[in-house]
Amino acid sequence: MMPIRCLLAMLGTDVHTKGIRTLAQLLRDQGVEVIYLGEHNTAEGLIQALMTEDADVVGLSFSTATYLHYTRDLLDKMRAAGVGDVPVMLGGLIHPDDEPALREMGVRGLFGPGSTLPQIVAFLEQTTGKTLPVRSARAG
Amino acid sequence: MMHGAPEESALAALARGDFRAAARLITRIENADPSVQDIVATLYRRGGGTPVIGVTGPPGAGKSTLIDGLLARLRARHARVAVLAVDPSSPFSGGAILGDRVRMIRHNTDPGVFIRSMAARGRLGGLARATSDALSVLDAMDFGAILVETVGVGQSEIDILRFARTVLVVQTPAAGDAVQAVKAGVLEVGDVFVVNKADAPGADRAVSALRESVEFRAHAAGLEAWTPPVLKAQANEERGLDEVLAAIEAHAAHLAAHPQQNAARRRAQAMAQLVEHVAECLRMRHSLAPARTDRFEAQINALAERTVDPQTAAKQLLEGLV
Repeated sequence: MMPIRCLLAMLGTDVHTKGIRTLAQLLRDQGVEVIYLGEHNTAEGLIQALMTEDADVVGLSFSTATYLHYTRDLLDKMRAAGVGDVPVMLGGLIHPDDEPALREMGVRGLFGPGSTLPQIVAFLEQTTGKTLPVRSARAG
Repeated sequence: MMHGAPEESALAALARGDFRAAARLITRIENADPSVQDIVATLYRRGGGTPVIGVTGPPGAGKSTLIDGLLARLRARHARVAVLAVDPSSPFSGGAILGDRVRMIRHNTDPGVFIRSMAARGRLGGLARATSDALSVLDAMDFGAILVETVGVGQSEIDILRFARTVLVVQTPAAGDAVQAVKAGVLEVGDVFVVNKADAPGADRAVSALRESVEFRAHAAGLEAWTPPVLKAQANEERGLDEVLAAIEAHAAHLAAHPQQNAARRRAQAMAQLVEHVAECLRMRHSLAPARTDRFEAQINALAERTVDPQTAAKQLLEGLV
C-alpha cells in the first residue's frame, strides 16, 4: 500500500484556516495521508518539513492577495533546495487573472473558488502516479 | 545479493546525517518495500546507542506541545534531535491527518531537528507498524535523543514500552480521580508522569492521586526500583519543562546505576518485539513456509469448527517449541 502523502500549509500572515482544514478532512476521507502544517509557515520551514516528511505533493491555501509573492518565493527556494520536482497546488481565493503567472512559475494545480473535490483528487492521482483507495460508503 | 553497494551508500548517507536519505528510507519502510529489509537488519544490529524517549497519553493531553518544549531544551544540549510522531489512520478510508507538527512549527527552520509524522496504518496499540524500523534509521544518525509521540488512545497504549528507554505519560487534571489512577494500563508503563495543563482546576488532586498509585507500585517493586516522579507542567507556557527533562535524565542515570534493571528492561523489550514479529508473520501468511501455512489454516478451521481448543491448537502449531 502506498498512500499519497500531501503536505498542506499556509504561508505568511494569512489566518483563514477554514478552507485548508476542510480540505484536510476531505482528503483524509479519500485515503490521503495529510501532513498538516497549519498557518504561519515560512518557505524555509515548509521545505525542511517537506524533506523530512518525504511528501509527494504540497498544497498551499491563500485567502489574501499575497499569493503571487509567497508562491514565487517558495518555488524558487524549493528549486534551490533540490525539491523543485515536488508538485505544488494552490487553493483558496485565487483570481483567474493570476493563473497564467502562477502556471509560469511552476504551480501545477490551481483550485480557486468553485473547484471540486474530484478535480483535486484527479490532480493528486495524476501528479503522484498513485491511486487512492476506493471511496468507502461512509466517506462517499 | 545485489543489495551490497546501495546498502553501503544508504548507511553512509545516514552516518553523514543526511535528512533526505533518512526520509526516503522511512517512506520505503512505511510502504513495506522488501528491498529495505537488509538495511534495516544491519541498522538494528549496529543500533541501540541513541536514547529513545516515548511520550504517551490521551488525545489532547498536550503531548505535541510538551515535545515542542522538550525539543528546545534538548537542542541546547545536543547538535541534533529527532521526533517521530504517530497519528491514527482512518479505519474507513485509510487516510490520516498528521497534525502533531503544528505544535512544533518553530523547529521547522532548525536544521538540527528532524521531525517525521507517521500514520498508524491500521495497527492498534498506538505505534505504527513501521515505527521500530524507522527508529533504527534515526538511531544510525547520531541524534542526541529521539522523541516518539504515540497515538493518544489512552489506557491500552503500551506499545511504546518495546522501544523507549524512558516513557513519559502525560495526563491532564481532567483525567479523573483516584479510582482512574489505580486502574491497570498506561499507568503501569510510565517512568515519568506529567500532569499537564496544571493551571486547570484539580491539578493538585490529580497529582496526589497519581502519586499515590505510582508510589504504591514502586514500593511493591522493591527498594532498588525506580520511583516514577509525578510532575506538574504547563507546556504551552513552558512551565515545568526543565523539571520534566531533569526527571528523564534522572531515569537514565538510574538505569545506568542499576545495570541489572537496565538489562531486565532491554530483555523484556526484546521479548515483546519478538512475540510481536512472530504474530505479525502469522498475520501476514505469505511469509510462512507452504507446509506451515497448510498447518496454520488447518488449525484455524479446526478451531472454527470447535474440534480443538485455542490452547491445544497453539501448542500443536508451535510443536517442538512448547
